[in-house]
Order: sequence, then C-alpha cells, then structure tokens
Amino acid sequence: MKRPVIETLLSRLDNTVRWTGIPARVADQMSDAPSVDRKHRPLRWIPIWPIAFSCALFILSLTWPSALGRVPLGGAFLALVSSLNGVIFALLPMIHVNGPLGKPSLQDDEREATLRKDSLLFCLGLLAFLNCLGQPFLMILSHWQNWQTAHSVTVAISALMLNGTLLGCLPTLYASWNLQQLPKE
Amino acid sequence: MRIVRMSLYNRISVFRAEQGISRRQLADAVGVNNQTIGYLERGDYKPSLELALKIARHFGVAVEMLFSFERFEPIAMMLKRAGEDE
Repeated sequence: MKRPVIETLLSRLDNTVRWTGIPARVADQMSDAPSVDRKHRPLRWIPIWPIAFSCALFILSLTWPSALGRVPLGGAFLALVSSLNGVIFALLPMIHVNGPLGKPSLQDDEREATLRKDSLLFCLGLLAFLNCLGQPFLMILSHWQNWQTAHSVTVAISALMLNGTLLGCLPTLYASWNLQQLPKE
Repeated sequence: MRIVRMSLYNRISVFRAEQGISRRQLADAVGVNNQTIGYLERGDYKPSLELALKIARHFGVAVEMLFSFERFEPIAMMLKRAGEDE
C-alpha cells in the first residue's frame, strides 16, 4: 500500500530534526541518568558562515543603491535581503541552542561560567563598539548619498539582522576558539 | 596598582595517579566537569579558592601541597634526597 505523501514529508521533517541531535540531547538531559561524559562540541567554523553572510548582505545593502533605483521602491531587493536573512535566522537557533558552551548555563561549573561570561562580555563589547561607530557613519553616509526611504529601510533591516547574527554567533565562536583540545586520559 | 599575574602550579595529576582515580571520578567528587580537571592539570585554568580547597580535602592534604606559585620539585629528586637523608 502506498503511503500518503504527507506522512513521508512529516517523517522526513522528523528525521531532519533528529539529525540535528537536539532531541536526543534534550531527552538525555531530561532523563533520570543523564550521560556524564557529554563533552562540549566546539563550533569553530559553523558560526563564521552566518556572520560572513550577514556582513556580505549588509555591505551589499550599503553599496548597491543604483540597483534599488531600477527596481520599483527597491521592494524586490528588500524582499531578497529579508528572505536571505530569514534563512540565516532560521539556522541561528542551531548554533544558539548549543550556546557558548553547548549546554544550559544552570549546569555550568566555575570554569564554564567564567568562559560563558567572558564570551558574552566580548560579544556585547564588540557590538557596542561597532554600533557606536556605525550609527554616525550611517547617518553621514545617508545624508551624503541622499538615500531614498527604501534604501534606508533595507540598510536598517540589514543592520538589525547583522546585530542579531553577531549576538547569536559571536559568543559561541569566542568560546569555541578558547576551548583547547584536551588529550585523552 | 598594577596587577601581576602569577603562574599557579599544581600536582593534581600526581595525587590522582597515586590514588588511581580518573579525572571524571575526581570531577564528580568536587562537583565540576571532568574537562575542568583536565584544564586544571594542564595549568590552563586557575581554580577558585573553593574548588582548590575541595580538591585538597578530597585528597586529604593541605592546599599548599597541591598548589604553589613555584614549580614543584620533581618526585624523582624528592625521592633521591630522601634516600640521601636516610
């Protein structure tokens, strides 16, 4: 008997979720005897992709005003930026669920709590610095290039998405590069 | 006032080997992740006073026996000196 298409699709979605490893991790943490040998999974390269992609889109939104002029209200470009950033944001929880240390902060010991705090402080410090520099820069640029509303909206959305991506990915990236490999016992 | 960062040496691995316990057993006993014990042994992490005291209590020694600002004398040298004293 041929299975309905919807069941296959749902099964595939279930398999995709299981493939992320998150359900198994949650089940393990909620069990009476969670595995004690769970190790951090440093994510040294994966967070770089969303950051690079968000940066590229932000730069594109800044340096591509002529294309906006040719498209009515820049709507198509805005939709493109929003949809691409939407994909990034859909992927961000996969990084953020793992968090800076790949587990809930309640289970941190003192070294992990310190590393988590350092990661978040580094991220927030860098974001504050970039935003302090970026806001006057964007104001001057918008005045100098006489941006239209659509362009300003595109840049604002891109900047917002870039901030969100950095907030989601930078702590993980910082913590992952600070975790050195330990030799096996 | 300038803060001078000093190296903190320890011989947790020596005591652990002597008692035949794994990193995980020690970690469970003092309530930290087993990776933290690994980083401690390598000198990549300086423990809090609380953790240092817990580890010392677990081994039944004074905290100065486990942690020092100066390098510990190698065990071979200590044994040699002890032999000469006898």
